[in-house]
Amino acid sequence: MNGISFLMDHLPLLIPLIILQFTLMITALIHVIKHPDYRFGTKGMWIFIVVILQLIGPVFYFVFGKGDNE
Amino acid sequence: MNIIEVKNVSKSFGSKQVLDGLHLGVPKGSIFGFVGGNGAGKTTTMKLILGLEETTKGDIFVGGEKVTFGNTKTNRITGYLPDVPEFYPYMSAEEYLTFCGEFTGLKKAERKQRIKETLTLVGLEGNKKRIKGFSRGMKQRLGIAQAMLNNPELLICDEPTSALDPEGRNEFLELLASLKGKMTILFSTHILGDVERICDYVGILDEGKLKVSSSIEALKQTYAKSQIELSFDEAADFSILIAELNALIEQEIITEVEKINEQNQVIISYNKDYTDVAGVLLESLIAKKIMPVSLRKMNPSLESIFLEVIR
Amino acid sequence: MKNIYYFSKKEFLESWRTSRLLILMIIFLILGIMNPLIAILTPDIIQMSFGDSLPVNIPEPTSLDSWGQFYQNMTQMGLIVITLLFSGTMSGEVSKGTLINLVTKGLKRSTVVISKSIYLILQWSFCMLLAFFVTWAYTLYYFTDDNSPHVFLAVFPLWIFGILLITTILLTSTVSKNSYEGLLLTGGFVVLLFVMNIFDKFERYNPITLTSENINFLQGASNIGNYMPAMLISFFLSLLFIYLSIVILNKKKL
Repeated sequence: MNGISFLMDHLPLLIPLIILQFTLMITALIHVIKHPDYRFGTKGMWIFIVVILQLIGPVFYFVFGKGDNE
Repeated sequence: MNIIEVKNVSKSFGSKQVLDGLHLGVPKGSIFGFVGGNGAGKTTTMKLILGLEETTKGDIFVGGEKVTFGNTKTNRITGYLPDVPEFYPYMSAEEYLTFCGEFTGLKKAERKQRIKETLTLVGLEGNKKRIKGFSRGMKQRLGIAQAMLNNPELLICDEPTSALDPEGRNEFLELLASLKGKMTILFSTHILGDVERICDYVGILDEGKLKVSSSIEALKQTYAKSQIELSFDEAADFSILIAELNALIEQEIITEVEKINEQNQVIISYNKDYTDVAGVLLESLIAKKIMPVSLRKMNPSLESIFLEVIR
Repeated sequence: MKNIYYFSKKEFLESWRTSRLLILMIIFLILGIMNPLIAILTPDIIQMSFGDSLPVNIPEPTSLDSWGQFYQNMTQMGLIVITLLFSGTMSGEVSKGTLINLVTKGLKRSTVVISKSIYLILQWSFCMLLAFFVTWAYTLYYFTDDNSPHVFLAVFPLWIFGILLITTILLTSTVSKNSYEGLLLTGGFVVLLFVMNIFDKFERYNPITLTSENINFLQGASNIGNYMPAMLISFFLSLLFIYLSIVILNKKKL
């Protein structure tokens, strides 16, 4: 399999995918940093979860981590 | 005419009886102070009036209409400020009031006008911040704004002053007092000073029953005691004083003497005319050369009445 | 009627300002892209993990693989994310006391339930269509076969099941004290549907079929008419759940 040509073939899929994943991560990351009232856990832990766990990480943060009053 | 009529209402939570055959009438146009200790059932009574709780027994009428649990029609004419008002934190004050106003059926132009008026009234005009950044006092003020939004005939406030600092409390009481004549206000509190300041009617709730319900003037007259308080300094000879006072009891000028040791005070009860009693009292004190630092005709405070009522 | 609109509008604002709607949109878009991508990559991944020693030829992926991913991801990821994000939709309002101000202004409790269900169903429809059209567009672009003739017919049952799930979330959230309880009850309901699926007799009636037979509907291999009972049951269960939510909220202490 030729890596470069594979990438080129699937750019229409990969570019939006990467942009979306990145947007999701940044949205969650900004929220984690700006609202330090978590239901549990620390800022470091949530940053780690949001950045490392793609897709699931941000969802988990918004469901379980986000403080009630935000 | 009474805007609120609570008739023989009982309310139990499980086996715990909170209200026991409560009768309460709130005269239209009055500012009615609803007093009672913590857990006396003030909040429960208010929630019953608003149809937020179901009565175990008895009926409640607001503006002549029966209150039903759940979706009561009587809420049309009421405004309610809960003890801890809760809002949607992601809205601004104006957005929240707009949202509330949509349910009151006010026309759009009128709604905008009312929102502006109420926000100015509570001092939140031009505040674009989201509610999540509001302080406790700001939330309380937004609470009163939302309660007054639809110009209610009846405003119900649950412990509105307890969470405020002295300055905020003062402002709030002035605000309530300024509404007199525009609407009937029922507000609960455990701060008797607040009631004395702005209310013209008071109801004292204790052990699930309304122990007292009358105008403040009538209440004070009922509980007015003929008493004189005398204070002395430390040098005074109390044995001579007591002997003298006992002699006055013998002469049936006064009826009772109570000595409060720590404060060098005596409280004298009598049943004759104040001027006569005070005259005789002072003369005999002068004769014995015991001079009081103060002589005071005791007026019953709401606090002493309250304590006596719930005793 | 107007109040339903006002309260639904508030639900939308809430979803937007608490970032939930954004999260949902991004995730459903990602899912939409992932479906054809995974279908394309699967043969390569198998090739890589087994090396050249693999004796059989791996068939070229087709549009069916892409749609297969769609139905798998929508149920295993999409619906789960919606459940997670909205399992506290009613219990949150009740426990915080945010409805008190509104109810004492004359807002009917039934309006709250109906508005919430309308908003959640609209939101689900929007998100599902987002993923659906993205997957469809890429599938048309990358797979030129005509193995998948009935795309709309196949997705319709999934939409119906989504509505059932949303009304389930609404009911469980009305019953429970917090979002965790609601989550547990919704999970319990879905597990129950799966367990009932063991019995072949119920298959045509079980709403869960609406998420498992879509590929057959897509190919036209299975007649959607056979699953009408499951769709009707889902529809009536949804109505029942909305009704029950109203009845329960009417009795709730706010």
